[in-house]
Amino acid sequence: MNATAYILLGILLIASGTGAAVLRNPVHSGLSAVVAFVTLGMLHMALGAQFIGFVQLLVYIGAVAILAVFAILLTRPEASHLPCLRPLRRAVAGAVTAGLVLAALLIAIFRSPSLNREPGPVAEAPVAEIGELLMTTHLLPLQTIGVLLTAALIGAVLFASTNHS
Amino acid sequence: MITLPAILALSAALFATGLGIALIRRNAILIFIGIELMFGAGVLNFVAFWRFSPDPEALTGILFAMFTIAIAAAEISVGLALVILIYRHHQTPELDAANRLRG
Repeated sequence: MNATAYILLGILLIASGTGAAVLRNPVHSGLSAVVAFVTLGMLHMALGAQFIGFVQLLVYIGAVAILAVFAILLTRPEASHLPCLRPLRRAVAGAVTAGLVLAALLIAIFRSPSLNREPGPVAEAPVAEIGELLMTTHLLPLQTIGVLLTAALIGAVLFASTNHS
Repeated sequence: MITLPAILALSAALFATGLGIALIRRNAILIFIGIELMFGAGVLNFVAFWRFSPDPEALTGILFAMFTIAIAAAEISVGLALVILIYRHHQTPELDAANRLRG
């Protein structure tokens, strides 16, 4: 990945993420997060993991973002009976906490000498090999994920169904 | 050429952004989006470590990233169902309203 693409994608990623944090309208926030997800998929592709990039686009844009924006539109607060509970203090405290976590992570990353290594010679992940590994070595995790997703969807339907009171 | 610490730093910044969203916002759905951004930072770490690993042909990071994405999808489907349920009780998706244990 060349440096220009990295810098542009990084700026777009952090800017759209920050937009999701600070935009006042929840719909705008959700759409800004969609831009962040697309940028993340492009980063994966630039790193050589094309399959993960496309999976990211399909799952996050096709499913997660649609679901989230739908939920935002479905759950408009009818009357804002909650007064703004010291919103400025909350925002400052949240931003400071996030900044402290970022500083700790950056110190740890840039002080560990074992991370300074060259990229391997192979820069691609062929889909055929991924599929073969999923069907042979990682068959049990794949089946477990299938059971987990089924259980999650059944649980979601049970939670959200109306006639269980 | 981009080094591994540069990618990890970008991933750390994305994680901090997601954490900031989860801490600042009160809308439960936006908190979930922040959690998804933190998941995304983890996936970016997996892919970066795969790219810079001494044995990239094993594809371990790629498979780990795939399973992580699947778990994130399962998590947000259940989470959004819970948010809908909370909205039905309190008529608002804001988590400050859901401060009682009895329904």
